Amino acid sequence: DLRRCLISTDVHTIEESFRGIKKAIQAKDIFQNVTILSPSETLHSIKPSDVCCVTKNLLAFYMDRVFKDHLEPNPQILRKISSIANSFLSMQKTLQQCQKQRLCHCGQEATNATRIIHDNYDQLEVRSAAIKSLGELDIFLAWIDKHHHGTSA
Amino acid sequence: VPCVSGGLPKPTNITFLSINMKNTLQWNPPEGLQGVAVTYTVQYFIYGQKKWLNKSECRNINRTYCDLSAETSDYEHQYYAKVKATWGMNCSKWTETRRFYPFLETQIGPPEVALTTDEKSISIVLTAPEKWKKNPEDSSVSMQQIYSNLKYNVSIYNTKSNRTWSQCVANHTLVLSWLEPDTLYCVVVESIVPGPPRLAQPSEKQCVRTLKDQTSALKVK
Repeated sequence: DLRRCLISTDVHTIEESFRGIKKAIQAKDIFQNVTILSPSETLHSIKPSDVCCVTKNLLAFYMDRVFKDHLEPNPQILRKISSIANSFLSMQKTLQQCQKQRLCHCGQEATNATRIIHDNYDQLEVRSAAIKSLGELDIFLAWIDKHHHGTSA
Repeated sequence: VPCVSGGLPKPTNITFLSINMKNTLQWNPPEGLQGVAVTYTVQYFIYGQKKWLNKSECRNINRTYCDLSAETSDYEHQYYAKVKATWGMNCSKWTETRRFYPFLETQIGPPEVALTTDEKSISIVLTAPEKWKKNPEDSSVSMQQIYSNLKYNVSIYNTKSNRTWSQCVANHTLVLSWLEPDTLYCVVVESIVPGPPRLAQPSEKQCVRTLKDQTSALKVK
């Protein structure tokens, strides 16, 4: 169903991976008064037509910045993060198809939301920003599940 | 006069118990102080905001739980809470929950179940549970509105054959056909949301008897 570009990846397997490391990752995030994704300013106001673009932008944010900037000493946690990154990679490939079909339009809200997230990330020291972004994966995954629910690309 | 912080051990096992977005903070008394007249004070924090906030109804309380539903009612936000114990001039350090995300962590209560029966069939009508609300006169929000992919696991038990089977349904009505007449069937239903596993809360068991077979009754005449 390419009318709306949606991801068919089973987000629940990714949520499963994340749930195994969530407690440890979030415990390392000591700045409770700061968020990166700031859902009420960004994700909660995204229109259906911008869902593909925001998903694409956030997948790129995690793949190109967060996963690269995070240094994980624990091999079990690293394995889970790698599994999540591989799932994100396949989602990116799906969305690239949509982009070719010009179905991944970026409206102003989508662009603003993406910029806010990158600005939040830049406010923090890079390791702290990476660990905080990892700790907020449950927000992003719940948003994907809610907005890419039902039909598949 | 401020208490001596760290003079007491911390409360333990602090967690949120969340059912249909009714979010109750609960904890255990500090080790070795069970039965002692300890009091507790609670604070909560909205992830991304600036400071810890007091919960006035949970200042110097004796009980080991505190209802934070109103403070955590925006289920798409994330929260922390913490509690400390006080006894005389001594108090413990704070003990804190991990990040609490109601949208992913609340348990979904059972639906309301209405059964009507025929000779060989039972009709089941399910009504999704309601989200917690502060005042009874507030307008109701169904958990279905929050979780559009809410489903139900319906378990049916034939008391005559001792057989049980289950069906997972997405809509609110279900007709069980090809049943045995004049037989007692019992039904239990759980709400399910695909995604992270959540503790399930089964409905009260309800039993209903299918009607006698009218055709055989007529033959007898």
